[in-house]
Amino acid sequence: MTGRLTSARLVGAGAAAVVAVVTALLPLFLDSSQLTVYTELLLSAVVTTGVSLLLGYAGQISLGHGGFYAAGAYTAALMATHGMPSLLGLACAPLVAGLLGLLVGMPLLRLRGHYLAFATLAFQLILLAVIGQQSSMGGDIGLSGIPALGIGSRHISDFRGYAWVAWLALVAVMILTRNIVRSRPGRGLRALATSEMAASSSGVPVGRYKLVVFSLSAAFAGLAGGIFAFFIAYVAPGSFGVLVSFQFVVMAVVGGLGTLWGPLVGAATITLLLQWLNDLGARPGMPDYAPQVFSYAVYALLLVLVVLFLPRGLVPAGTDALRLLARRRLARAQPGADAAGAADATGAGVEEPVPSPQRQ
Amino acid sequence: MSSFIAYLVSGIAIGCTYALVASGFVMIHRVTRVVNFAQGTFAVVGGMATASLLRHGLPHGLAEVVALASAAALGLLIGVVAIGKPGTPPLSSVIITLGLAIGAYAGEVMIFGDQPLSFTMAHGSTSFLGAHVDRQLFVIMGVTVVSYALLQLFFGRTYVGKALTACSSNPYAARLSGINPSRMGLLAFAIGGALGGLAGVLITPIQPVSFDSDSLLAVNGFAAAIFGGLMHPSTALLGALVLGVSESMIGGYVGASYEIEVALVLMLAIMVWRAARTPVMAEEVA
Repeated sequence: MTGRLTSARLVGAGAAAVVAVVTALLPLFLDSSQLTVYTELLLSAVVTTGVSLLLGYAGQISLGHGGFYAAGAYTAALMATHGMPSLLGLACAPLVAGLLGLLVGMPLLRLRGHYLAFATLAFQLILLAVIGQQSSMGGDIGLSGIPALGIGSRHISDFRGYAWVAWLALVAVMILTRNIVRSRPGRGLRALATSEMAASSSGVPVGRYKLVVFSLSAAFAGLAGGIFAFFIAYVAPGSFGVLVSFQFVVMAVVGGLGTLWGPLVGAATITLLLQWLNDLGARPGMPDYAPQVFSYAVYALLLVLVVLFLPRGLVPAGTDALRLLARRRLARAQPGADAAGAADATGAGVEEPVPSPQRQ
Repeated sequence: MSSFIAYLVSGIAIGCTYALVASGFVMIHRVTRVVNFAQGTFAVVGGMATASLLRHGLPHGLAEVVALASAAALGLLIGVVAIGKPGTPPLSSVIITLGLAIGAYAGEVMIFGDQPLSFTMAHGSTSFLGAHVDRQLFVIMGVTVVSYALLQLFFGRTYVGKALTACSSNPYAARLSGINPSRMGLLAFAIGGALGGLAGVLITPIQPVSFDSDSLLAVNGFAAAIFGGLMHPSTALLGALVLGVSESMIGGYVGASYEIEVALVLMLAIMVWRAARTPVMAEEVA
């Protein structure tokens, strides 16, 4: 059984490497409008990885990650427009967002479920209202003229460079998430998602773990926000509305909560679908509200259908189907292996009592 | 003094609309344990539908009634999707209502357009204790008092109202006495839709409503509802009045731009304070 597990793990690692190489080479073949979609997709995936870590592994919902995204973007934008090195601004974006997450999380993480959802939503509304009133932060009009990202006199001059920056950020965030989830604190997180009482009586420092994960996922959002600010070269409160936060939750749920690849799959599914519908809605003969209406309808339909019919999301549903297929083929090749497969399945069940998170 | 009276009356009236949104939250949460994120949507649909029907020549009265009926129908529809599939856990239902709230944007933009709409219900203003006060504010207060009284009668004096209360206190026991809790849940969604729609109809004449006004209305309504722990309409009314009056006073004396921040910070403070007093065990078992 251990042999088969290692081979499954090898297949997984190989698939991950193929995906990494293909996505890294992809910008070479995309035109500038496709590169914009590519970059925004990857940045969404970075934030969604944090949301999924928080919601899928630690069981804490946040409808305020658009606020941390904004915090990162504004940190980078303010520092860069005040003449500081752009790389320093990019480094400070996740730090400031993470610190803000720590400050906000301290009182708010006492709340659970829908209370936490509304509280984080309120945090974002407060943050946006405050930014809109600060003339030093550009007010409602926003900050423009953000210089390009670069070191010294060398700057990223085209969209392709930002696409690779976003790719690097996503890889870093995913590797970090993978290592956290597999560590002892990661198992503690999954325990507290099921029952905080049981976890704390088994010695998991519930409050501290929740706070650290909240802050970390805020930092992920801040990192994406910082890259976004340099990429778009313009930030305004209007870019970070409540719908942005909802979008990250939708992507996390659609892709599959508590999975490493779910956020990327969710972000890709929704971004590409929206892009396709946007093109469709912008065709002549369509009413001018069509693109807007399509995008709202897509969020709603995907979220509702996935929650009702694929409650664990696309990635777990997909891997389950693949596993079933492989097991059937194995059973056909050597009769009697089916029983071993069943034993394997129950073994995995005993090892991981939490139903939703799935081994990669 | 006269400006104080004006702020007070306007605060109470705004508070009344929050109370109606809040009572919708409470209604649905009591029976189904679902916090309906689409509660602000009902207000938007109520307000925008009335404005649009009036624009198409329907008389006052009929337009409002049709708008309320469509808000109630929307409530029923959202209820069917959110709790209609047997075995949907409450947190999934909450996420579904969030999705439907976004989905409703699509319908609203298609039917009513993406610009704010308004209409006039009660014309002009009147002198009240030396202050000029819009007549509409008195309409809001009067309608809210009447609807709270009707709700009280409904829950206290009718079988259906008592069945709803039974489902909220113990669904299992309610089922044993021949009540269908899921049907009662759908009824709660429809009533919650009508209450939210009523709030929208009343507030649109003083604050134009557009398709994305829902989050602010919902957050204010939710803030009021948590005064009573999402279970008691009367404490929600009290919370809504406190919220409305404090927003109006701060808007009047400090500056209109701080209204939202204060209301939200107040809501966060109350939630955290309540959570600190509730032991973890009580929440996990419930």
